[in-house]
Amino acid sequence: MTNVVEGFSSELAEIVKSAGPAVVRVEGRRRLPASGIVWSEGGIVVTAHHVVERDEGLSVGLGKDQKADAELVGRDPTTDLAVLRVEGIELSPAASAGLDDLSVGHLVLALGRPGRTVQATLGITSALGTSWRTAAGGSIDRYLQTDVVMYPGFSGGPLVDAKGKVLGLNTSALRGVSLTIPSLTVDRVVESILSHGRVQRGYLGVGVQPVNLPEALAEELGQETGLILISVEPDTPAEAGGLTLGDTLLSVHGEPVRRLDDLLSMLSADLVGEEVIVRILRGGDVREQKVTIGERK
Amino acid sequence: MTGRLQEFNEQSARLAARVHRSLVRVESGRWGAGAGTIWHSDGLILTNSHVARSRQLRISLPDGRQASARLLARSRDLDLAALTVELSDLPTIELGDSERLQSGNWVMAFGHPWGVEGAVTAGIVIGQGAQMQGRPAFGHNWLAVGLHYRPGHSGGPLVDSAGRLVGINTIMAGPDVGLAIPVHEVKRFLKDSLQRAAA
Repeated sequence: MTNVVEGFSSELAEIVKSAGPAVVRVEGRRRLPASGIVWSEGGIVVTAHHVVERDEGLSVGLGKDQKADAELVGRDPTTDLAVLRVEGIELSPAASAGLDDLSVGHLVLALGRPGRTVQATLGITSALGTSWRTAAGGSIDRYLQTDVVMYPGFSGGPLVDAKGKVLGLNTSALRGVSLTIPSLTVDRVVESILSHGRVQRGYLGVGVQPVNLPEALAEELGQETGLILISVEPDTPAEAGGLTLGDTLLSVHGEPVRRLDDLLSMLSADLVGEEVIVRILRGGDVREQKVTIGERK
Repeated sequence: MTGRLQEFNEQSARLAARVHRSLVRVESGRWGAGAGTIWHSDGLILTNSHVARSRQLRISLPDGRQASARLLARSRDLDLAALTVELSDLPTIELGDSERLQSGNWVMAFGHPWGVEGAVTAGIVIGQGAQMQGRPAFGHNWLAVGLHYRPGHSGGPLVDSAGRLVGINTIMAGPDVGLAIPVHEVKRFLKDSLQRAAA
């Protein structure tokens, strides 16, 4: 009789062993070090933004004598990610996977390396949802919550599946539960930070509030709410595009804007510098303005 | 897939039933009760030093037998105590190799949390080392496990996926991390202190 419990136990340890070399220690704060994931060739390490408390004097380590200085390439506080570049030690990138094969109930491991050796906790996938936005406005491709325990120093480490593939980066800072930033989002943010030093976001320069649209218009548009402008900052794309206080935004670049979230999702990096059509309701009339989206600094 | 999970459950329950026979209850007068682990069939029982605080120690076995116990040796640094009872043919647990345990390995802890007799909890090894968050370094290794130790777990056995003894449940370090004394440290303690007692 093959022993299932023993087999299970050694398979878990095997996963830790195989994914472990891509899990690094990140020393970027005064307290306990945190963890990071070797993301791509060229010594690119991704970690959690909140554990990198300084911009200089950072280092990354593996085992006992493997330690090297790290340069901060950039950070994106909205998704709680930071990208480091490390030279001088041999780093092998993690094998990552998408979330298509993951279901609620699947076993997952959280790995971390706050010390010299890799550490692990086990849990199951608790919730899996669609895209969501962090309180700071960062766009996350999938909602992934697990019941793995985040041991001190585990932030920035990977969540791995039963095949040892990295599903994403664990952070305890976003909601107080064990959340994982999916690999797809990490890929996107890392790419943006590597090419621009930051994550670009579009900018209009307005303050908005959702309001109900007049009944006839709501029926015609199939849209019950719009966003009324409660402030228009001077010298901004909104002002240059002729938007004024009291206008109600109906759509931007062809996409209806019913809630603040709709507008924030619209203002993505690829629209920066683009001229877009903004439909507004002004004095009872629907009009179109041309606005060139700026970049949020 | 369901079959594998069922088999896992059954094997896990069989393993628990086997280990249960070596789990004892240690009553320490006004200090309350904790757990203990039968180490030798001739009446040697291991528990934590913080469990064996009273001079009047009483042991209850899962089969209903009871006996008063005598303190043979203790180490406050290791938080270990060796007791002896005048009973024989006690069921022991095969010793495992705690030095070879790895992060990710499956472990099960036995004890009497909050007085619930013979409760079992399972999880994985987080890591092993001398430096543990919030614990003073005594020059010995701790075994960190993803288990919730509760009052009553102390002194009970921690076993590996084959049901071999790999540690003695000892204390929590933070809200979600249990610390156990690995079995290789227990061996060292017994060797050192019992030699001294014999000399």
